Amino acid sequence: MKLLLTLFLSASALLALSNEAVALKSEAVMKGYKDSIADMQMTLINAAGQKKVRTMKMKVLEGEEEDKSLMEFLTPADVRGTKFLSYEHVNKDDDQWLYLPALKRVKRIASKNKSGAFMGSEFSYEDLSAFNPKKYHYEGEAEEGELNGKAVYIGSATPLSKYSGYTKLVNYVDKESFLIQKTEYFDRKKELLKIALFGEYKKLDGVYRIGKIEMKNIQNDKTTILIWSNEKIKNGLKSRDFHKRYLKK
Amino acid sequence: MRRLALSLVALSRLSADIELSGHFDLNTEAFPTRPDTKNKNAITATQTLEINYERDALTLFSKLYAQEAYYDITDDQQTERTFARVDELYAKYDFDYDSIKVGKSIEFWGALELRNIVDGFNPTELRNDLFSNDKLGVYNIAYSHYTDSGELSLITKVYEQEQKMAAYPYVYNFFPAFVNYDGTLKTEESSYRPSFFLKYSGSTETEYALDYAIIYENGYDSQRYFTTQTPSHLQPGVDFGKPTKFIQEAYIVNKIMTYDTLVVDTTLFKLEALYAKVDDNAYVGDYSHIALGVEHTLENFYESAALGLIAEYYRYDTYEDDKYNDKQLFETMQNDLFLGVRYSFNNENDTSIVGGGIFDLEYDEQAYYLSYESRVGESFKVAFDYNLIIPSTTDLTAYALLKKHQRLALNIAYHF
Repeated sequence: MKLLLTLFLSASALLALSNEAVALKSEAVMKGYKDSIADMQMTLINAAGQKKVRTMKMKVLEGEEEDKSLMEFLTPADVRGTKFLSYEHVNKDDDQWLYLPALKRVKRIASKNKSGAFMGSEFSYEDLSAFNPKKYHYEGEAEEGELNGKAVYIGSATPLSKYSGYTKLVNYVDKESFLIQKTEYFDRKKELLKIALFGEYKKLDGVYRIGKIEMKNIQNDKTTILIWSNEKIKNGLKSRDFHKRYLKK
Repeated sequence: MRRLALSLVALSRLSADIELSGHFDLNTEAFPTRPDTKNKNAITATQTLEINYERDALTLFSKLYAQEAYYDITDDQQTERTFARVDELYAKYDFDYDSIKVGKSIEFWGALELRNIVDGFNPTELRNDLFSNDKLGVYNIAYSHYTDSGELSLITKVYEQEQKMAAYPYVYNFFPAFVNYDGTLKTEESSYRPSFFLKYSGSTETEYALDYAIIYENGYDSQRYFTTQTPSHLQPGVDFGKPTKFIQEAYIVNKIMTYDTLVVDTTLFKLEALYAKVDDNAYVGDYSHIALGVEHTLENFYESAALGLIAEYYRYDTYEDDKYNDKQLFETMQNDLFLGVRYSFNNENDTSIVGGGIFDLEYDEQAYYLSYESRVGESFKVAFDYNLIIPSTTDLTAYALLKKHQRLALNIAYHF
């Protein structure tokens, strides 16, 4: 009986996944798109339920660890043509520039503090950067649980950057597909700040892509919904398509 | 019939690639403090239309601007602020590592927030207010070669553009009533004498990233000066009061310029500098201008709002005592400190408040401003600002010519 129990515990330990392993698998199922071009719609909903809609065009170049992205704002009309170029880095601050078409000015952004709100939304700049497990510290094994009838792994991650707006993220990851379903964000006071619900995943050319994120701020009762549409991957984009020259084009 | 059908198909394909955008603005300004003889307010309607056509590597772009001033329509005394301009009209072709652009265009060079001393490619519009960023398009041909992290450009400006000025009753006409300036520009050589700009810019991949740009110019300087026909030489304080025709003069210069931004953690350090070697001009000698700035942003300062703190210092020096000095060249930022704040609410209407003060450390002048801007609905933008200028009481500076000045302005814009 003792031997049977030992064997059972050993098997359970072998089957259990660490938080880090879950994060690495989550990253792996979203990898391999090489590049992406998509339309984005961002709906800002205030506490009274009033909505404001913004639209953008997004290009992303997938790197081994460091992505490049170029976002162009299409609406509202007064920010049409504003562009945001970002070179993501793991070991140093991201390079970021903003193009202001009214002045024809390219402005450098100090990117270290990523906790700032993006375009008045409930997303911060760090929420919008690609998920990279190397930016977090993981401990222990993932818990098993259930979310909307789906079996999920539940695990926490601690941001490594002292400039992050969060002290902890709790991720809910589908046990079968390893796609992230939900994330809870805890602020610097270690209180729950926001909850993101991820959905409408679609498989393009064998790679999972996100279709919708609903970000609800628990503290101010505002919500932002981000929807991707018309996404195409593996377009043959190159690093030179993300040169600063394209901010002004 | 077939040709007509083909033409219609071609036209519909062309129009599908054309993007139109722009804005209509209504701007009202009141001047509670001003010289008594100048207009106490200004109401201006403006229209800006941008037409963009892109197909593969070809871009065709045009920006048109028109402005109507209330006093020009209703009053006998014209301020000459009603006009239309073609600001930009160019064709650009992008190759993989090169591009060529031909036509009339507006460029921006600079790193600082208050004033960009190296941003002299385009002359500024003198028919509008002192605080606007309105620039005139210039005819040029530009070739650029791109490396992984930078670009090398050779830009040839092919015509030297004149600068018209608003007429006397308008508050931002600096000259006294007896001065007549109709925008006449006298150039040292032909106005078609090309001005050459060689520009190298890039970004480093160091721990503290640096964006840098170095520009060499041979051609007409962005700084210009005025001479008079009657009397023949500008003598402030001596000849003032006599009817005088002013002429703007452009001279040849060899100039080296740089503008740079260094990112250190959450702070931006900025530099703009230039040195101009002037070719044997009777009025203007060699000069330099340098500006240093620092910008630090506190994210989530209050809820999701961000607070930007800005400090900048400007220094202008002339090196030939027998020629025009900063005052005669109307240079306002000769030894000035600027302290400013930018409060961005980071809300759905992109509301912001910007304020600051400019302190002249030599002539005891100050200028203060406060502005508020927000979106209303999806298409309207509203901006309100207040400006106060306290000029020197001891020196005949540009602000002293303007006299003590207060302005309240409201701008309502419809964007499409």
